Order: sequence, then C-alpha cells, then structure tokens
Amino acid sequence: MPAEQVEVEGHIIDSLILAKVLDVVLDAGADYRLVEVEIGKTSTDPSRARLEVSAADDAALSSLLAELQVHGANRVSSTDVELVPCMVDGVLPAGFYATTNLPTQVRVDRRWLDVENPEMDCALVVLDDLTVRTVPMHRVQMGDRVVVGNDGVRVHPLERPRGPSPFEFMTSEVSSEKPKDLLVAQVAERVRDARDAGGRVLVVCGPAVIHTGAGPHLARLVREGVVDVLFAGNGFAAHDIEANVLGTSLGVNLTEGRATEHGHSNHLRVINEVRRRGSIANAVADGFLGSGVMYECVIGGVPFVLGGSVRDDGPLPDVHTDVVAAADAMRAHLPGVAVALMLATTLHAIATGNLLPAGVETYCVDINQAVVTKLADRGSHQALGIVTDVGLFLRNLVEHLSP
Amino acid sequence: MTPLQWGRRYLMCPPEHFDVLYEINPWMHRDVKVDLERARDQWEHLVDALRAAGAEVDVMEPHPDLPDLVFTANAGIVNGDQFVPSRFRHPERQAEVPYDIEWFEQHGFVVDTLPEGVSFEGAGDALPFGRVLLAGYRFRSDAASHVHLSALTGAAVRSVELADARLYHLDLTFCPLDDRRAIIAPDGWDSYGRKVVEALVPEPLELGLDDALRFCANSVVVGTNVVMPSCPPAVGRRLEAWGFDVAVSPVDEFLKAGGGCRCLTLALDVVL
Repeated sequence: MPAEQVEVEGHIIDSLILAKVLDVVLDAGADYRLVEVEIGKTSTDPSRARLEVSAADDAALSSLLAELQVHGANRVSSTDVELVPCMVDGVLPAGFYATTNLPTQVRVDRRWLDVENPEMDCALVVLDDLTVRTVPMHRVQMGDRVVVGNDGVRVHPLERPRGPSPFEFMTSEVSSEKPKDLLVAQVAERVRDARDAGGRVLVVCGPAVIHTGAGPHLARLVREGVVDVLFAGNGFAAHDIEANVLGTSLGVNLTEGRATEHGHSNHLRVINEVRRRGSIANAVADGFLGSGVMYECVIGGVPFVLGGSVRDDGPLPDVHTDVVAAADAMRAHLPGVAVALMLATTLHAIATGNLLPAGVETYCVDINQAVVTKLADRGSHQALGIVTDVGLFLRNLVEHLSP
Repeated sequence: MTPLQWGRRYLMCPPEHFDVLYEINPWMHRDVKVDLERARDQWEHLVDALRAAGAEVDVMEPHPDLPDLVFTANAGIVNGDQFVPSRFRHPERQAEVPYDIEWFEQHGFVVDTLPEGVSFEGAGDALPFGRVLLAGYRFRSDAASHVHLSALTGAAVRSVELADARLYHLDLTFCPLDDRRAIIAPDGWDSYGRKVVEALVPEPLELGLDDALRFCANSVVVGTNVVMPSCPPAVGRRLEAWGFDVAVSPVDEFLKAGGGCRCLTLALDVVL
C-alpha cells in the first residue's frame, strides 16, 4: 500500500485537530500509524505528531494528503535515495547504506518501495523493475545500483505481535525463572498459528539435541510435517546418524548412558560410510540410515542446510564447506519462514539470526543463558529466550503439537 | 465577571473608495451597487457608536486602489506592541499588506511576519478569549498558519474549522463578550470546532443560522457595550440580562461585501 508521512503541529490536542486528522484518515478508508507524538507539557506548549498514512492506491493517497493539508497536516519532505552503481563485483560503493533486519522502504522516483527481503548487515540494490533487494556484500555485481547514504530510506520499527503471545507473556526477554510448561504450550500455539496462516517453521539445531536424547522427538516433528526447513552443522547430522545407526551419540549409548568401547570413533565411522555413499540421501536410499532426524528430512522431502566449520570431522558429503555458499544456501530457504526454533546451538543460531528478517518470531532454547543474550546483542531483538534443557523442551513440545 | 481587557481602541478606515469590484465571498456580487453616501453615513455612525461606548478610534487613510481596506479587521493581529500582518488568500486583497505594515510601523508597532506560503487573515480569523486565541481556518486562513501564529505571539491557539462558506471568517461566528461569555454561531463550525468552543466558553449566547447570516456575531464589544449590525429581540434581551448595553449600528452597505461592524474595526489594544 502506498504510504506517506505527514506532520501536524500546534495546539493540536486542545483543538481536536489530531483527533480530526486521525478520523479523516479512517473515514477515507485509509490507515495510519503514529510515528512520533510529542505532547506539550502546558496549555501554551505546542504539540507535534508525525504519522504515516497509507491508502489503497496512489490516487486515494494523494486525495487524502490534500484533505489532510487543509487541517495543517503537511507531508514530511523527503528525497529520493541516491543510487550509485557498483564498479567491481563483490565491492560496494563507499558510503553504502548498511541494512537492519527491520521492514524497510526506499524512495525512488517519489515512490516508496518495500525492500523485499530484510536482512541485517547487507546493502540495498534497486533493480530495473523497481524491486529492491538486500544483497550481501559478496553478491553484488558490477553495475548493480546500490543505495548510498540514509536519505530516502525509512525503517519501520517492529510492532509487538498482537493478541496473546509468549512475547507478551514474558516480561523479560531471557528467563530461567518462568514456568516452562506454560511457555512451551505457548510456543506450540505460535507454531500452530504460524502454520495455519501459511507460514513456514525453521528449526536450527545443535548436536546437544542428539546428546540429550531428544533426537526421536525432533524426528517425530519432522515426520509429522511440523518442520519445514532445518539448518544445522556437521556435528548434528553426524551424531543423529550415529545414534540411529549405532545407538550412540559421541560414543555414549543413548539408552544406557554408558560410554561404549572405542565409541569415540563411532561418529567418524558413520561419516565415512555416508561419504562412501556420496550423500545422506543415498545412505537412506540403500538402507544404511533407517531412522532419525536426517532420515525423516530425506523421506519427507524437508530441505536442510548443513553449514561447515573448521573443526568438522569428515565432514559429511552434504556439508557446505564454503561458508559463504552455506549462508547463501540458508538465505534461499528463508522466504515464508514465520517461526524459527533455535535448539541448543550458539553458532548456527547466531548465523541464522543474522539472516532473518526482524518479523520472524524466534525462540532460542538453550541451557546457557548467554546464547540468547548474544543473539539479542547482535541485533536479533525478536528472539525470545527459553533457558532449559533442550531434551525436555522438545519432549514437551511434541506433547503439545501431536498429543 | 471580568469585562474584556481589550476593545477600547480601534483602527478604522473610511469608505471613500469602498466598492464591490470583485467577488471573493458568497456575499459579493459585482452587479450590486454600493451606495457610497449611505456607506459613509453608516461608517460615521459606527464610529460615533464606538466613541459613545467609550472607545478610541484611530483612522487610517483610504487608498483608491484598495476598496476592502475599510475592513481593517483583516489587516493582521495585534499583541501588545507587536503586529502580525495578514497573508491574504486572494490576490485582490494582497496589495493591502504593505499599506497596513506602513501604518503600524509609523505607529510604533514591531512587525513580525508569518512565513510565506501560508494564508492568514488577521483578526477576521483570530479572536482572543481568556488566555486563548481562537482561530478559524479553511476558507481564508490555513490551519498551518496557526502554529506560526502561536510561535510568533506565544499564545495558545485553538483551531476551529469553518464549515459554511457564507460564514467565511471566524469573526462572523464568534464574538467574545467578557471572560466567560461569547456570542457564538455553531452552524459555522464543524463538529470538532463546536466541541472546542464548548470547552472554551462557559456561558455562550448561541445564535441560530438566520441570525448568524445577519452577521449578529460580527459585533464590537467595548466594556459592557455591544455595538451590533442588527439585534434580534431574544439576543438583545439576553445581553441586557447579562448587563450589556446594546447599540445597533446598521452597516448593510458593507454587508454587500460580506462585512459587518467587527470587520470594519481592528482592536489595537489586544495583549495575548
């Protein structure tokens, strides 16, 4: 919807001008959002309100703006963005606009255009068909028109989700002192609501999911179609396969809790066998792997991205060893994601958090409070932390989602 | 009840060159001839009535090219020794401004001007009530001018949208009587404006539309004297019951241009 910011100033409260302006907007079938309101402290102090009005189309907006002007609400002057072409592949023009993960618009030819895929720490490229995309530095190409400076760019702060949500339920962002069952029930409800609204659910997990014995619960969520896409690393996939082929995780027997003899090499042996078969899908196809999270992903056609790291054993043949390629592969799966569950993983949670638009509800489950804090510190303010054992969390979540 | 603290000194301009030469409000019709002799008599009568009520009247020189200069209320607004000149919406009246500014400068006022691009028509659209400046907008003044008016004068301005083109200036719908009372014509305002005035004026004397269209609210108050272009009996009785003396000073030659008693005067002793 086309939108424009207007400002109205003066004794607008006592004169009922602000009330009238808002009524005029609504009476015109348009909508408003108060961007900023400063109310004078005394009867002689002026007040000031800046609001963004949006209407169904450009014609409706311009006639509304004309009517608002009668009541003293003037359009906030704004200029078009400055666009500078890239001169070298993978190098941005100096002074490029660095993005946030919030909904963003840029003004081109006096029209506000939505940025299609908000992502933090990227640049904005305006394409010839007037779509605007966030593009990571390494992906810009010579000739791409990149937004430079801050003029003509506006960022919309995120509204808290309306209606009951765990974000409202929680008074602090991270807490180990909240009733967990209630919290898990609410997360389950948000997952269900998001799916009902056509949103996708992303699960990002670390090997602790397998070590804590929660693998079968997660596998069940994948099997039942609750999970739409999965991000993890070599360790998670390797231990999931180890657990389902040999019954151990890092050599520890998952049913008896004992270390098995020579168990420390178990994961290396299964990685080796998967490498022999060329891919996890092939390992499933020839019967080597017959259960578990990765198995269910392959059988159910749930896409997964395994991002590599320097210390990986093997790694599994499906692991992206080029980290830039890994990030690009993750980006490709983000459209439509409405809820992200970060399960007991620091590095993958932060990597994913950096890629997610701010509108994605993110639940970060970890026994360590620092992981959630770290995510929030890096700009993923939409993350809600649940400090608990991931095994207990997943078992509980399964109970709520598929009783 | 405290009588008005202003309204004992007025600026007026004799109708030597008054005429209806253009049409910028629904009252003006070029085919209606002004009887200049009669206009002069009515103007003189108004001056006498104001003086009899105890007001001083300063007279400015008329100008042959400025027929509406008689309506001094639209020159601007006065605040102590400050004068804020109007910015007329219609080009026909814009030539009055330098002439008004000259008079005020010569008479010791400090002239503060509104920024370009906004319209504001002086005391015609802004009248003090208590500690508030009630200001009208839509037909002649812009709502956007009010914030500048407030910034220049320091007054709390309450904006009222005028809703009837025949009552195109605030002073056709509002006349402060004292610190609690005013003659009001709510038909001239939109619903928000009515609420604003309702909250502002504890004891209003409400005019019906017919009386408003006879410019009853376009009256001049000098202490406890009210000089009106016409006075329906019910209004007169109410004013007398409140302790006011009513003097009727017909100005129907000026009604041909859309102006009444108040329009022919500009209070020079307003302190906001």
